[in-house]
Amino acid sequence: MSVGVHHAEGVVSLANYVFPNDVHIHWSLMIVLYPYITGIVAGAFIVSSLYHVFGIRDLKPISRYSLIFALAFLCCATWPLLLHLGHPERAFSMFLTPNPTSAMAGFGYIYTAYLILLVHEILFIYRPTMVALWQQSKGIMRGIYAFLSFFNNNLSRESLELDHKIINFLAGIGIPMACVLHGYVGFIFGGIKANPLWATPLMPVIFLLSACVSGIAGIIFSYMLIKKFSGGTIDVACIRTSLKFLWGFFILDFVFEMLEVFTHYYMSTHHWHVLENLLWGPLYTTYWTLQVKVFSVIPFILLGILCLVKLKDRIILFFAPIVSLMILAQVLLMRWNVVIGGQLMSNSTRGQVFFTPEWAGREGIIAAIIVMTAPLVILFILSRIFPLWIHEEQPQET
Amino acid sequence: MHKESRSRYNAHLIKLIIALVVVGVGGYFAKQALSPDTMGQYGHYRGADIEDQKNIALKLGTNDSCFQCHQPIRTIHKDGVHKTVSCEVCHGSYGNHIGDNDEKIGTLPVKRGDEISQLCLRCHNKVIQARPREFIKMVGYPEHLEQMQVNPTHNCSQCHMVHDPLLWIRQAREMMRMPEGA
Repeated sequence: MSVGVHHAEGVVSLANYVFPNDVHIHWSLMIVLYPYITGIVAGAFIVSSLYHVFGIRDLKPISRYSLIFALAFLCCATWPLLLHLGHPERAFSMFLTPNPTSAMAGFGYIYTAYLILLVHEILFIYRPTMVALWQQSKGIMRGIYAFLSFFNNNLSRESLELDHKIINFLAGIGIPMACVLHGYVGFIFGGIKANPLWATPLMPVIFLLSACVSGIAGIIFSYMLIKKFSGGTIDVACIRTSLKFLWGFFILDFVFEMLEVFTHYYMSTHHWHVLENLLWGPLYTTYWTLQVKVFSVIPFILLGILCLVKLKDRIILFFAPIVSLMILAQVLLMRWNVVIGGQLMSNSTRGQVFFTPEWAGREGIIAAIIVMTAPLVILFILSRIFPLWIHEEQPQET
Repeated sequence: MHKESRSRYNAHLIKLIIALVVVGVGGYFAKQALSPDTMGQYGHYRGADIEDQKNIALKLGTNDSCFQCHQPIRTIHKDGVHKTVSCEVCHGSYGNHIGDNDEKIGTLPVKRGDEISQLCLRCHNKVIQARPREFIKMVGYPEHLEQMQVNPTHNCSQCHMVHDPLLWIRQAREMMRMPEGA
């Protein structure tokens, strides 16, 4: 009897009418982290572009840091996918036998192109610094810095002008590529027409806006945290400007998120009852209570006050990391609600399943913590090679 | 601060371009060398895979594969309400029983005793919400035994002939001269 009873317990926990092949959530924590990490990369790159391309001078102190930050997260952006799928070595097959009709392989190509671009942009922006460090350092580091400055220590005006042109060019194509990188992740979900929660052309837009938001919030939070623990001074003007951009992008992000639900509600297509049961059923806590009420409305009001009211530096420095952390939580919840939420409804349109993440295992909570910690470790290693802050450098700024 | 460099002002760019070209050309040749030979022969897959698939030993058969030898069961099974149930659902895969050269290579398990009830409940347990009740009998166990007023320690197979579950029920009714549905 034991097998029968065990099976019965598993099945009895389901409500309503669920297709037998809809019982399990196949895209779990790793697929939540995949758009989260990718979004942070795209957002961080946009922060750096605000200075390098759009000339927002206030953001100069974090312009280089945000590039290295983006690279650290970009290095890990595919880890969740590789963990989820297993057989990471097969990822290279998409280059050996390219398949133009595979949406997922498309991400691989965009990711690779973007990685190449980001690495080159960093190397050109850092070249004067690399040359200076090459001259100063000894041993292995000397070799590394020589390599990273392309074995050319020419820092003449002519040479720097050439670099500047290349940087402008790379940053210029970098912005659309960063947008495509994350918009494409939104497309991957938005293109799944069998899932009424995902299948909307708004999906790339919402993903892109939430990416900008999480990137800026991640930069503000980590910048302040690093400065706090390393004893550096925090540039308040930079924080104020970053908060303004954070608020601006968050207005768009939050409004589009709400408009999407409202559109579903107003159209009331035959799928609305499924979405309604989902959003007011198993997703109520994570969506309405946490994502919308706690982590969207509160930061929304806080950011508005921080940007519009003339406040003392002390207050800005107190609230900036709190609000950034809340926004980071909001975006993570949004990823959860989209990825997990979309799978909580059966294709029968008459039943829901429930999901509790496991601790151990390849896609468990511990693995998720490791994957989220890895970019920070990589960031630390990169910071040993690339000075994160401009004042730490000797030569002239590009 | 810096010594006058002996490199040309654009030497790094030239080196980078050369490196990228080398990587690109290397990548092209690596693709040529590492791609499977028959890739794209028929479509976007390895053509030789068709041969590989053909050479995989058969694991599953059909009911007719079984009925070639098991004649008496064939008659009973084909008449009963289980006629659409594959033999392999309960007995395991054909490939574990018959080898490539049609020789017997193993004995498939026949469930007995308590195992029979477990097997039946895999499909007939009423807690499986998603099963269509209109044409599959869903029961609670041992609730069903109480309703039928039989010994609660009975196995399913003590009342039901597993290949035609209603065979003995029908026969008992005929013997007792009971009408249908009584």
